[in-house]
Amino acid sequence: MTNFGFIIDNRRCIGCHACTVACKSEHEVAVGVNRTWVKYIEKGQFPQSRRLFSVMRCNHCDDAPCVEICPVTALFRREDGIVDFDNRRCIGCKACMQACPYDALYIDPNTHTAAKCNYCAHRIDIGLEPACVNVCPTQAIISGDLDDPNSRISQLKSREVVTVRKPEKATKPALFYIEGDRASLEPTATEPIGQSMWSHQTSGVGHYASYVEKRVAAKAKSNGSHQVADTPAENHTDHPLDQLHGMLDLGDRSDGVLNPRPGDKKHVESTQAVEKELARRAYDAPNKGILWGWQVSAYVWTKAIAAGVGLVASVAAISGLATVTPAVQWLTIAVALAFMAITGYLLTIDLDQPKRFLYVILRPQWRSWLVRGAYIISIYSLLLVMWPVLGLLNDFQIPKWFWWPLAIFSGLTAVYTAFLFAQAKGRDFWQSPLLSVHMLLHSGIAGAAIFAITLPLLNDASWQAFIPKMLMGLLVTKLIVDWFELASTHATADAKQTVHQITKGSFARMYWLGVVLLGCLIPIIGLATLPPLVIPICGFISLVGLYLAEHIWVRAPQQIPLS
Amino acid sequence: MTQPKRSLIERLATSLKIIPELDNQDLAYGPQEMQTVDLQRFPPMEQWDDWFEYDPHAWPVREKKNYAIVPTTCFNCESACGLVGYVDKETMEVRKFEGNPFHPGSRGRNCAKGPATINQIKDTDRILYPLKRDGERGSGKWKRISWDEVISELGDRIGNALHEERHNEVVYHVGRPGHEGYTNRVLKAWGVDGHNSHTNICSAGARFGYALWHGYDRPSPDHANARFILLVSAHLESGHYFNPHAQRIIEGMMDGAELAVLDPRLSNTASAADYWMPTQPGSEAAVLLAIAAEILRDGTYNEAWMKQWVNWRDYLTARGHAGPHEFSQFIEALKKEYAEYTPEFAEQESGVSAQMVRQVAKRIGAAGDRLATHNWRSASSGNLGGWAVSRTLHFLNVLTGSVGTVGGTSPSGWNKFKPNFFDDPPAVKFWNQMHFPNEYPLSHYELSFLLPHFLKEGRGKIDTYFTRVFNPVWSYPDGFSWIDVLSDEEKIGCHIAMTPTWNETAYFADYVLPMGHASERHDLNSYETHSGLWIAFRQPILREAARRAGKEVEFTYEVNPGEVWEEDEFWLELSWAIDKNNDLGIRKHFMSPYREGEKINIDEYYRYIFEKTPGLKAKAAEHDLEPLEYMRRFGAFEVEKKSYAKHLQEIPGDELQGAQTDADTGSVSQQGEIIGVSIDGVPRRGFPTPSKKQEFFSKTMTDWGWPEFEIPTYIKSHVHPENIDPQKNEYVLLPTYRLPTLIHSRSGNAKWLAEISNQNPVWIHTSDAKTQGVVTGDLVRITTEIGFFVDRIWVTEAIKPGIVACSHHLGRWRREQDPKANRWASNTVEINKSDDGVWSMRRKGNIEGYQSGDADSSRIFWSDGGVHQNLTFPVHPDPISGMHCWHQKVTVTKAHADDRHGDVEVDTKKSMAVYRKWLEMTRPAPGPNGLRRPLWMNRPLRPETELFYIES
Repeated sequence: MTNFGFIIDNRRCIGCHACTVACKSEHEVAVGVNRTWVKYIEKGQFPQSRRLFSVMRCNHCDDAPCVEICPVTALFRREDGIVDFDNRRCIGCKACMQACPYDALYIDPNTHTAAKCNYCAHRIDIGLEPACVNVCPTQAIISGDLDDPNSRISQLKSREVVTVRKPEKATKPALFYIEGDRASLEPTATEPIGQSMWSHQTSGVGHYASYVEKRVAAKAKSNGSHQVADTPAENHTDHPLDQLHGMLDLGDRSDGVLNPRPGDKKHVESTQAVEKELARRAYDAPNKGILWGWQVSAYVWTKAIAAGVGLVASVAAISGLATVTPAVQWLTIAVALAFMAITGYLLTIDLDQPKRFLYVILRPQWRSWLVRGAYIISIYSLLLVMWPVLGLLNDFQIPKWFWWPLAIFSGLTAVYTAFLFAQAKGRDFWQSPLLSVHMLLHSGIAGAAIFAITLPLLNDASWQAFIPKMLMGLLVTKLIVDWFELASTHATADAKQTVHQITKGSFARMYWLGVVLLGCLIPIIGLATLPPLVIPICGFISLVGLYLAEHIWVRAPQQIPLS
Repeated sequence: MTQPKRSLIERLATSLKIIPELDNQDLAYGPQEMQTVDLQRFPPMEQWDDWFEYDPHAWPVREKKNYAIVPTTCFNCESACGLVGYVDKETMEVRKFEGNPFHPGSRGRNCAKGPATINQIKDTDRILYPLKRDGERGSGKWKRISWDEVISELGDRIGNALHEERHNEVVYHVGRPGHEGYTNRVLKAWGVDGHNSHTNICSAGARFGYALWHGYDRPSPDHANARFILLVSAHLESGHYFNPHAQRIIEGMMDGAELAVLDPRLSNTASAADYWMPTQPGSEAAVLLAIAAEILRDGTYNEAWMKQWVNWRDYLTARGHAGPHEFSQFIEALKKEYAEYTPEFAEQESGVSAQMVRQVAKRIGAAGDRLATHNWRSASSGNLGGWAVSRTLHFLNVLTGSVGTVGGTSPSGWNKFKPNFFDDPPAVKFWNQMHFPNEYPLSHYELSFLLPHFLKEGRGKIDTYFTRVFNPVWSYPDGFSWIDVLSDEEKIGCHIAMTPTWNETAYFADYVLPMGHASERHDLNSYETHSGLWIAFRQPILREAARRAGKEVEFTYEVNPGEVWEEDEFWLELSWAIDKNNDLGIRKHFMSPYREGEKINIDEYYRYIFEKTPGLKAKAAEHDLEPLEYMRRFGAFEVEKKSYAKHLQEIPGDELQGAQTDADTGSVSQQGEIIGVSIDGVPRRGFPTPSKKQEFFSKTMTDWGWPEFEIPTYIKSHVHPENIDPQKNEYVLLPTYRLPTLIHSRSGNAKWLAEISNQNPVWIHTSDAKTQGVVTGDLVRITTEIGFFVDRIWVTEAIKPGIVACSHHLGRWRREQDPKANRWASNTVEINKSDDGVWSMRRKGNIEGYQSGDADSSRIFWSDGGVHQNLTFPVHPDPISGMHCWHQKVTVTKAHADDRHGDVEVDTKKSMAVYRKWLEMTRPAPGPNGLRRPLWMNRPLRPETELFYIES
């Protein structure tokens, strides 16, 4: 059976970008995004310095994480080894972009669906080489059948020393580099840049291109045909970076350029890193930004609340630690359904193809935890709808069996995101086994916090006793779990860097003050030492802390470059 | 094909029509039943008329698209690589460009600029119709006119000038020629010495050095077969001929050749080298001479070859050695001559370690006659005396006997085809002193960049000035002086900008005539890309596609976008109009060779050339085609597969009437002029120099007042360290280096290139940045002799300390009143001139997205198009070659408080003063016998011989 792959022969590559442009031409790829691109790094000290080129693109993995995570089979692996996609099915969930360790995917701003190198399958099927192979002046890109011992590619692969990107991801990539260089192939070996030796980026691309498009449209409308900027170059009141800020996290924006300015802390850090490593990026494709933004952190948070109340109620009922009064039941149902609705809304608006949201349910790719999660959420929601019916039929004496499915599906609702994140193979930090514990804990805290806030309304002694203890216990546990997560040794550089970002880097203030102090320590102390009057306040601030924690956990790993 | 397996739920949902059925089309979820996976690079030629391929946008649904595949050549850089255009047969629009597998130079491969041609075709801002100014010159007001009006108005104007004997007031100034002799023939037909070019801001320095050696002014290295490749260039990313040469350099290297590169900046080429020799700018000749001296000391020179082909006897005679001469005398003399050029001296001058110089010399010695070298622009275009770089580089080829060998370096002319025209007008009877002034008798090509200064000095005026794919306001030094003269109707009566895309010079035109891009025009191309000889045919592909579809087209603008035309047809029509009463003797040079008494058309023009191209008729016949038809379908033809050692060509007996052979030198003379060299009794043509040999010793230099340069020497640059004071923050600025993705000011309309390269920060070494207290991204002010510019800094280890570099190509601009042009790459600026003549430029707006028919134009993610540095450079004419010496002594300081990114300020009075200072270095004509210029030295549009004498 044919098994197509690529060899990039760095002995031949001259970094000319012909492949980049030929690919753009063949597929009419939008400005800002690339199916293939050439990264430049420079290493060494003058006159021993050198510039190295690496052609980056889809690795057409045997075990492609993008295919596994895709909820709708938009991505698939052909029998000939090509990982292709069908954008008519894509819902724009961007999970593939989190799953791919190679940064190969992007959102096509024309179709609002994911896209990537597909080995020019449309050419392969009529017997033609991919466009990039054809154009390459120095024949540095070699295509062919890796399983045919007589093919040029397999002979070259046998004879020469080849390397792959991120072998530890066990994706079995089908793209090999001859003279692949560590500093080029490992994203964390060099700092990402906003300015290169001949280019720079000041606005978002791909998924974020729509922001620029909207601004251009608005400007055209307000100016009529007159489109010349009237702001001086150094005074960007309406600069693209206003939109970019926080999406790319690339650096200072005060002068409208993404590269760091002197005195900037990040800059100092990066300069030191450069001096230490003597390797730096000299050219790179535009940064695609943080693809899972506030909608995803918010969804994790609302879902934690929706699941949490159900979880707390069912645990209370099963364990008998507290009486689940009709008031508690109504509150649980109302809060869970409301937050589940918000969750559904957030999930939908996060899609680049929101109108196709039903595809997750109706074109399921069962291995994807996005699909499994959607079904879990649906079943949990169904239970929530059944609940009042059961309640009204039985005078709110809920049959004992009901609590079990409720507990299980609220728990799964809480936890499945951890499995989804684990499927996002590109993000090392999310691979932590503690992530499911973390999600479950967060749900518990969220549920307990909601009950804490509404405690004055519940007027039930067992709840008055149960909730503060539970909240306090969960918060303490969270601190311990966080400590394990952040203090234990992480296996990969990406994960280590994420931890560094959280504890010492750009998220440190938010984490230590927002999550640990405000979200955990203050409520713990409050609950332990202050009169019950403060319980609702403690509940509230722990919910705030929880949101910040979700924000950090979703965002920080995405700051680590994949290429 | 594997049918995708779908879940029960999906099948249910689609059958209930809740969601659309997506699997009922021809889907490619697996490979098609392919017999073989031996992928082909190109569609089979037989199917080019009617090619089907799948639409990638519909994929994986198999939707067929039908194309006609038509060859042409790229018109971005000079290489003229082969392209094929895919013409959608349904819409008759061009879909994309790929390489042409039949092109012997590019062999089906291209650089980034090849496929980006489609961007230029579909440029949202392109000029679609002829325009005439509708207000003051430079006011930005334009009105559309017809081609008929253009032809008739310009025809009358030029006709008047010629009737009034004002021939020198009609000038055609060309940036990118892109053809073989077409316009020169037209100018000859008009009888005007009106050819001006861009060569001496480009390659004149290197050309002069080569021409001194052997008449040919460019090298044609045989990289693929070389054992050692020595570049004073960056041919893995730029230059003539980037893609063809890069292919062959890598081929040679994969075959074991070593590569050495002299460049103060780590170019991509230098980075690929086995030996990067980061020379102090201007010290290259010292390094090359040290290598030469090492070869002499090591004894690895090629005695047999040198003995026959170097004019060493002339040298010994001139040095007072009485004959008979022994070759060993010459070697001993050479050793003495170059004794001071030790590797240590080279190190002291260049900073390149003596050890590396020795090592490279050893490797070159070992490579023998397989030494491929090239000096294209780079040091020869940067420095005073830069021509000495190519001269000393070629010295190494001479020493190793690698001239014209397999794996060596041939003269350009051997690998470049000269077409036969249907009509050859006589040499012109004028000498235009604004192009070849007496101060520069040896200048290689016209002193084109001094035109504004000559006009300002009142040396003449121009009545009709064509600029063609030429943008001196932007590309040349001292652009504000160009604006000065272009704005002055007393100096330039009428300016016609012929260009495929808006440029800074066209803003100051009276007529802007849109001329086609690569696939919208006819041209014949042939370049010395390797050992061999080929021609390629640039053709308007929509015209050819229409022809194949049975539609006859009279003029190319009928099929091009809007009314975009091409020069070839334009010149035919204009020439006819100039001579409207048929009394100027012009029309007779434009008569059809096939239809008695009728005006020639474009098809006939090329038909004639192709019919006269050796071997083409036979090749075409193999395919049952006529030569023109063959070229239309294949786009290229290989005239010779290999072209080595052409100096050994025998002189036929009938040319030897009365010839005599000098027993000592072997020179074959006829009527006092050497016509060849006798080798073992056989008269050979040799090289087109006075001695017909490689002229180590150039009597011409002595004859014309430069005895100190009669043999290859090292000339200290105007930016030699002696002239630079680091304590005063003085640096050498390298302003000429190119990127692999852009081409001068012609690629600003290519979005895929602009998104890769969109700013030109000033490179500075880490240690210098530390001294200056700047980090990447900081604004600095770069002060030249006549002004300053403000740009960002890029701190890097990829440049020599003490040197700063800023890329060419970037920093495009338009003023608010100018047409919206090249918006992917140009900033909006305001330009002011103070009462005392100080020009300033400040950005009014950055690059930003805009709405157009192309959705991509609203997705521009960059905002800075770079800074226009060339404006701040005064002219530096080399007193001998006439080359503009690009390198600048600059002061680098932190930007001042009110400086803004992109600011430029220039005092053109100072630039006139610098011009005069450099002018004083010249040693003007007359030379021997009252000559303006040595008779043996070529020049474009060579006038009648009598014009070479000042008296005339």
